[in-house]
Amino acid sequence: MDAVKNAPKVKKDSKDKIKVEFEGQLSAWERFKLKVFSMYFLKNVVVRICTYILLVGVSYIIIYPFISKLASSIMCREDFVDVTVMLISKNPTLDTYRAIITDNRYFEALLNTAILSGSCAIIQMFITCLIGYGFAKFKFRGNGLLFLFVIVTMVIPHSTLHLAMYMRFRYFDILGIFNFLGGGVFEAIEILPFTEIDLTNGYAPFLILSVTGLAFKNGLYIFLFRQFFRGVPDELEESAYIDGAGTFRTFVQIILPLSVSMLVTVFMFAFSWQWTDKYYTNVFFTSPLKAPYTLRDLALKKPSSLDTDYAGGNLYTAAINNTAGIMIIAPLVFIYCFAQKSLVQGIERSGITG
Amino acid sequence: MNAEAKNQKKIKLDSAPKKKKKIASLEKKKARVGYIFVLPFIIGLVIIYLPMIFQSINYSFNQIGYADGGGIELTPVGLDNYREALFTDPSYFETLRNGIGRIVFDVPAIVIFSLFMAILLNQDIAGRGLFRAIFFIPVIISTGLISDIDASNILMQNTGSSIDTGTGTNNVQQIVSAMDIEMLFSNMKVGAQLVDYVVDLVNDIFNIVNRSGVQMLIFLAGLQSISPAIYESCQIDGATGWETFWKITFPMISPMILVNAIYTVIDALTRSDNAVMSYIEEVYTQPDGMTLSAAMSWIYFLIVFLLIALVSAVISAYVFYQRRDT
Repeated sequence: MDAVKNAPKVKKDSKDKIKVEFEGQLSAWERFKLKVFSMYFLKNVVVRICTYILLVGVSYIIIYPFISKLASSIMCREDFVDVTVMLISKNPTLDTYRAIITDNRYFEALLNTAILSGSCAIIQMFITCLIGYGFAKFKFRGNGLLFLFVIVTMVIPHSTLHLAMYMRFRYFDILGIFNFLGGGVFEAIEILPFTEIDLTNGYAPFLILSVTGLAFKNGLYIFLFRQFFRGVPDELEESAYIDGAGTFRTFVQIILPLSVSMLVTVFMFAFSWQWTDKYYTNVFFTSPLKAPYTLRDLALKKPSSLDTDYAGGNLYTAAINNTAGIMIIAPLVFIYCFAQKSLVQGIERSGITG
Repeated sequence: MNAEAKNQKKIKLDSAPKKKKKIASLEKKKARVGYIFVLPFIIGLVIIYLPMIFQSINYSFNQIGYADGGGIELTPVGLDNYREALFTDPSYFETLRNGIGRIVFDVPAIVIFSLFMAILLNQDIAGRGLFRAIFFIPVIISTGLISDIDASNILMQNTGSSIDTGTGTNNVQQIVSAMDIEMLFSNMKVGAQLVDYVVDLVNDIFNIVNRSGVQMLIFLAGLQSISPAIYESCQIDGATGWETFWKITFPMISPMILVNAIYTVIDALTRSDNAVMSYIEEVYTQPDGMTLSAAMSWIYFLIVFLLIALVSAVISAYVFYQRRDT
């Protein structure tokens, strides 16, 4: 009799949900009280609150510079001498943006940088993927030694190679072949009209470095891909081989689709680091007249139509620089919004271990 | 026994070693394919990178000058560049010492901070995606040009300003008053050096947050790879969160700590806004400074290399590997 009375009573029944009421049990309010006023629950609430305070605080530190940069970018000239203006402008204006776009030829720089970063990032993505796959899945002789060189390319500070790198591309030559054919060794042989090629002030050095996996931070990408492919089970490829696919077909049809999130991660890294790069552009773009006009030239350049020669000049210059900064990173932020999810996923799935 | 059977036997005997040979060659073939995959890197290494390294070492032992007919001329000067860098140059040694000290100070802070944040971000909380997105913004944009602009902001800020961009040092007092922390710690009777360290860390929080993005990603990857079953069994055995962290999370994540420590050291030593690097770049632009800067950066590289070897040796003594084979 009792058992029947205490049995749960079905109140509502649908296809995949069932709502039951325990008759003779505690009422909803009492259950709520029991749940809320227990130590366990309270402790959890406190921990949650602390977590959120920390996360929001750190997010604030990250985001605040952007907010204040944005705020100062729409200030007018007078706001910088007005002590009552802290963050919000009295007369918002887009003059700074307009000046940078017209005087500093923003869109030209944007286009050039986009071409450079886009092509470099795509090449680097595929090349480092190939190299990483080679290191992870094939036990050829010298695998370890070659990988050591990859680490070396990561460790050598790039200022070490500044002069050598410039010279390498200023007088570009492949193992002395051009020199030999151009008559540098024997006067009699003169097949080519030149002994070396000047590749600086163009995109060529970047592309050559990208194709050979030596560009900025490529060691890191190779490392990431290697770790990622080590986590891919060999059975996948073996079954592809048994089905008659060759190594490259397996790579293209089995491995590449698997690693889309990793590819996106590396693409994002390569693209954005090339986008904001100033080191390599400084090395290779030596002549302002001949070199492509990129965002680097925009960063600390004062638009000619803005007059900063007054009491608030320092601040105004800083605000102009910051506005340029915002305009440089705006496209990146835009892309990041879309790629953010795969970026985090790519790293999470890489299963990096020691 | 007729001839046919004998023949068959012979074939069988023949075929056995033949088969073995074939397998070996397949593996060899596969290994050879590996070379094709890494071929771009080998080519780059042989025709660009290694010559570049030799050239750079060569420059560091030479003095560079412009030849009459255009082009450049090298005159060997032995160890003069190195001698000048270490003993004659007034600020190189000082910059180097400060730079290295800075790294010893930064690396633990960044690693600990990013581990802490990764653990927070790994929890199941509302808005996790948003927080993650925000935390990884600096990875994408706080490099190169933007850090240049921020650096120029700090210069501007020192001239007195009412607008701050949150990147400088003078506005930190607004976030946390350093004095208060100092008071708090000195009341707790801990060493003055520890107090200084913590105060410096708090003042430097913007920098640390900005530089721990990749490390956070790597830690997150590691945390995700720990099986939830282990945590569950811990909970059933009645372990507290604190115990679980030190007994489970910490050992399981220790390989990642090694990776991150090394990555942070490399990153800190080779990033271009680092004091030593910018000094070397500055020397490079001076007349006759090209070869001197090559010598300086080779000295620097040696130190970098030793530091990395040291860090990895120290940490790998404590690393716990769950699987031996990976």
